[in-house]
Amino acid sequence: MPKCKIADVVFDLEPEYAYFNERLTEFLYVGEETPEYSVFSDDVSIEKERKKYSLPENLPAPLIEDLFFERKVSDYILEKKNGTLFHGSAIEYGGGAYVFTARSGTGKSTHAGLWRELLGDRVKMINDDKPIVRIIDGKPVIYGTPWKGKHGLGGNIKAPVKAICRLVQAKENSIREVSVKEFLPTFFVQCYHVEDRKRKENFLEFLDGLLSGVKLFELKCDISKAAAELSFTAMTGDKL
Amino acid sequence: MKIKSGYLIREVAGTYLVVAVGKRAKEFGGMINLNETAATLWKELEKGATEEELTARLLEEYEVDEKTAKDNVKDFIKKLSDANLLTGVENK
Repeated sequence: MPKCKIADVVFDLEPEYAYFNERLTEFLYVGEETPEYSVFSDDVSIEKERKKYSLPENLPAPLIEDLFFERKVSDYILEKKNGTLFHGSAIEYGGGAYVFTARSGTGKSTHAGLWRELLGDRVKMINDDKPIVRIIDGKPVIYGTPWKGKHGLGGNIKAPVKAICRLVQAKENSIREVSVKEFLPTFFVQCYHVEDRKRKENFLEFLDGLLSGVKLFELKCDISKAAAELSFTAMTGDKL
Repeated sequence: MKIKSGYLIREVAGTYLVVAVGKRAKEFGGMINLNETAATLWKELEKGATEEELTARLLEEYEVDEKTAKDNVKDFIKKLSDANLLTGVENK
């Protein structure tokens, strides 16, 4: 694999298996910049990864390799690039990014899907599972990554983050703006961060940059177009 | 008394966050959210302070009466000590 560019960082990533190699094709980079960071994997590094993170014996090597590169890239971004990878679904509308976050299985992808039904080609999926956010010149920017979730939605695109919304399942739809204090505990656990002091400090600096610069919401919702209409109008301030 | 080693405090978008690092993160993987007063006390306790010193610090920093300051300090120390975050707590 030649050079690739993820989150505006040029990497040299050398996978062993086709699975991750194919995921990378969208992020290939042909420009002049030299890679800042090189990682390659082979069966030894894959087995190490399996042991270190107690991954199941029957998890196929290509999937472990995928996790290995995800961790390596996230670590690098956290260490050097004022950002991290987190669990969420990010969608672009009107030049800005709108992000849904929730515990696994709450329906982030489903809700983003409702936005697509509602807004058609006025929106673009940035990433449906694990985008990267970086603070660039004091402003949060979200990037598509090769880790696009089970429906493989997203692309090699970026947009400034405008609002982040936490989803909570409920019978009746309602949305409200929430404070950083309210938002933090659930968001914290959705972000990739590690235990060493330096990168933890970086992570807190990143959180400060992100949460100071965007509007935060909580949407209680069912799975309906009405829920998407509600989040769309509140988060974008636009009418449908 | 003193905050145990291995914790970090930082202001995050107008609120204060405490997280654990290194080995300590294996016991405590979450976060603690503190308001400004609590963060002031936390920072004193990182260096080590007595209850009296903490009360004095609050009186110096904020416009509160002595009883409120004392109660605040007592409450906060109890919370920290219940959460096993302190070392060198005097038994009374």
